[in-house]
Amino acid sequence: MANVTLNTVRKTYPNGYKAVQGADFKIQDGEFIVLVGPSGCGKSTLLRMIAGLEDVTEGEISIGGTVVNDLDPARRDIAMVFQNYALYPHMTVRKNMAYGLKNQRMSKDEIDTRIAEAAKTLRLDEYLERKPGQLSGGQRQRVAMGRAIVRDPKVFLFDEPLSNLDAKLRTQLRAELKALHKRLDGTFVYVTHDQVEAMSLADRIIIMSAGQIEQIGSPMDLYLRPVSRFVADFIGSPSMNILDGVVEADQRSVRLGNDSVLQLEHPLDARPGTLLDVGLRPEHLMAVAPEQAQLNLTVDFVEQLGADTVVHGKLSDNVDPLALRLTGVHSIAPGEILSLACAGDTLHLFDRTTGRRLN
Amino acid sequence: MTDTHMSNVAHSAPRRKTRIHWRLLGDHLILSAGALLMLLPVLLTLFTATHDNLFIHKEGVQFWFGDQGRANFSRAMFEKGGFTQNVDGVKMLMNSLILGIGFAVGKIVISMMAAYAIVYFRFRFGLVAFWIIFTTLLLPLEVRILPSYEVVQSLGLVNSYTGLILPLVASATGTFYFRQFFRSVPEELLEAARIDGAGPFKFFVDILFPLSRTMVAAIFIIMFVYGWNQYLWPTLMTTDESLFTLVRGVKQIMQVWVGSSYIPDYGVAMALAIIAMLPPVAIVIFFQNWFVKGLTESDK
Amino acid sequence: MKRVQFSRPLFPYLLLIPQLSIILVFFYWPAAEAIRSSFYLEDPFGFGSTFVGLDNYRDVVTGSEYAKIARFTLLFTALVAFFSLSIALLLAVKADTVLKGAKSYRILLMWVYAIAPPVAGLMGILLFDQRLGPITHLAALFGWDLKLGVDYFDTAAAMVICSVWIQIPINFIFFLAGLQSVPRSVREAALIDNPNGLSRFFSVTFPLLAPTAFFLLIINITYALFDTFGIIDLLQKGEPGNNPMTLVYKVFIDGFRGNDLGGSSAQSVILMILVAGLTVFQFRYMERRVHYN
Repeated sequence: MANVTLNTVRKTYPNGYKAVQGADFKIQDGEFIVLVGPSGCGKSTLLRMIAGLEDVTEGEISIGGTVVNDLDPARRDIAMVFQNYALYPHMTVRKNMAYGLKNQRMSKDEIDTRIAEAAKTLRLDEYLERKPGQLSGGQRQRVAMGRAIVRDPKVFLFDEPLSNLDAKLRTQLRAELKALHKRLDGTFVYVTHDQVEAMSLADRIIIMSAGQIEQIGSPMDLYLRPVSRFVADFIGSPSMNILDGVVEADQRSVRLGNDSVLQLEHPLDARPGTLLDVGLRPEHLMAVAPEQAQLNLTVDFVEQLGADTVVHGKLSDNVDPLALRLTGVHSIAPGEILSLACAGDTLHLFDRTTGRRLN
Repeated sequence: MTDTHMSNVAHSAPRRKTRIHWRLLGDHLILSAGALLMLLPVLLTLFTATHDNLFIHKEGVQFWFGDQGRANFSRAMFEKGGFTQNVDGVKMLMNSLILGIGFAVGKIVISMMAAYAIVYFRFRFGLVAFWIIFTTLLLPLEVRILPSYEVVQSLGLVNSYTGLILPLVASATGTFYFRQFFRSVPEELLEAARIDGAGPFKFFVDILFPLSRTMVAAIFIIMFVYGWNQYLWPTLMTTDESLFTLVRGVKQIMQVWVGSSYIPDYGVAMALAIIAMLPPVAIVIFFQNWFVKGLTESDK
Repeated sequence: MKRVQFSRPLFPYLLLIPQLSIILVFFYWPAAEAIRSSFYLEDPFGFGSTFVGLDNYRDVVTGSEYAKIARFTLLFTALVAFFSLSIALLLAVKADTVLKGAKSYRILLMWVYAIAPPVAGLMGILLFDQRLGPITHLAALFGWDLKLGVDYFDTAAAMVICSVWIQIPINFIFFLAGLQSVPRSVREAALIDNPNGLSRFFSVTFPLLAPTAFFLLIINITYALFDTFGIIDLLQKGEPGNNPMTLVYKVFIDGFRGNDLGGSSAQSVILMILVAGLTVFQFRYMERRVHYN
């Protein structure tokens, strides 16, 4: 096991495209790190640079204290699980797992022991003599993980390994993956575009956008204190409501587009009149009695999900859509007007021009 | 409303059924006619090959087997100097096999190597090499036949297997097929193999070649048939009869036949024609699935 | 090509050496030689050659015989492509609809692919023979006195028939593969939308088949131009004299029988340009198709 350090790593493609612009972080030994972001944000490129499948344009990557920039992928002591599994179709499951070990000139007994162990962990014993074509998607995914486990690498790399599976299987394998991490006690670097996957798996999340790292932190850090509008919007489902706002003269309140005023807990370090994006999570809005109302929502439509009820509508005198999430079943009809309130410490304020957090 | 609808269905069902029957019969008729059109010329050749020359000369092309089949075919195979002076059918068959197999194997080996270099390596003159190779797709051998002949002649390769086979290999069709195929192999396999510690040689031997086996088989069949059926180049390249292939021998048959003032050896001529088509036809029939797959999936 | 590639300094060159050296010796050298000698007049007794510029080309293009052969080539190509494509399409459509015996029909209609053109030509000589041939006998019933190798028109007809016969299988294979790759759901949707079988074919199936058909058209043109050499050579029975021939055949005749090296080379170069144009056209079309699919 080892830690992974990236020192101002950049990747520029020959055509000038800057895929990664300065990645600088340290992954602790045994940590489960998730790289998350929309497609094209550079997260896969970053992972592939750690694997050695892409050259590093600038900066340094070290694994376990050794700089690996110029090492072949096979010599970095890593293992990788690919999105489409990348199993060798002409080899049996056993041979798929054995191939990398054989190339390391490991003894046959040792290989057999390792495969037997991995097969037991992943419940693949029955399938060892089958070829990938005869397996289901979930089983193939397990074989791909098995191929990584038998190498007993310093670092496990995962490139969207669950995204080719259906929703139910994905949830199941997510739990297995988490358990596997606990059991192996290895360093995991995991790339996904699915924020739910990121939240449920990660010790720490690295969220990226357009080649830049937006924020590094625990899932709750990202949820409770997103440093930018981008992070706020990306984490959470349904996503955060963003409303136009402006800082009031007292610097302790913000005025929304429809002239409603929301009070803040702490004074704001921004000049009065600064334009804001005001973020409100749907689950932090509360339905209240009309006399306590801070906002009035005209209901457009209602999604009844059983455990939750999501209400979509518009604020009075405002065109911005707003969503509200209530626990349990509520009978609300379109056209109804709901009175809403929110606590000052659940407001997220972002500078409209820079998108940075202000409170 | 429901009633009339029901009765409609009851009425139309049998009528529709008969119409479908007739249409199906028509389809089968057309297909059978097509099959017959393909088969008949060869059948007539085969039938005629089993008759006595004088009989054929009097009665024309035959529509059923005669009793000279064994005699004609064994003369075609083993008698020297029927149409050609120095070779028998066995020798020509061997030459055809050498040409077919030599061409197919040479083409596969050479083009797989080249395609592997082009697809899987980053190197300085990669693009140049690509264009040098693929320009050859532009010009078939037939349009540069005379200078090709002169080049081979100046290299002293006339009347040799090398001179027969190598110039035919000098086109990029095989390379093109393999390039297309290699490009369709998922990239992640190479990445996985690199993480598993496989270098260029190991990757080719352990992964890429096993994956290409069906493709290799299909291309082998196509190239074997192509090589076996070569006519113009062997005609120019081999004046020494001991190097004649069966297809090359066909020209000799025709010349003797047409120029003859006696009754020509129809039976043996037709027997040789049948022998010349038998091996490639057998291969295409036996390996039809590979053959069709190779043809339709790589040619595009 | 690939996102990840090997980078070894020497290995790729080693892999390319065999292919490149064969191509250089047996392709580029002859091609260059053809272009060079198309500008020279070779002494008939082999005493050197003189540079004559474009004279060879002028002689070729202005010769009345060349124009006649070019016209014949055009007609021959059009007829062979048309008949072999349309017969193959009909058979493929039928083979695609019947369920019983589909596999047997497939093999019965494609095995002729393996027969060499000159062998087909030899069978042609037999079947069209003036004394023996059943086709000649059949023609005689209709008052047609078929004279293969003597009459220009009759020989041309035999050439077309033999060439079509041997080209049907490959067209059939591709059309059938094309038809089978039309998604089932599309056919079913068409079946619901359009009750008329024939109009359904032309409005839905055929447009989806168009890329295959275009690809085959090019293949058939190249075939008619080049691969029919064996058929033509046989059916003329060694006497090109008054018989029809294609441009490629004339290159061969002038070069090897007429010893007109310059003229033959000039013809080669003209054909090279023609074929290169055709191939580039085909590639551009194919590239586009690849992108849009």
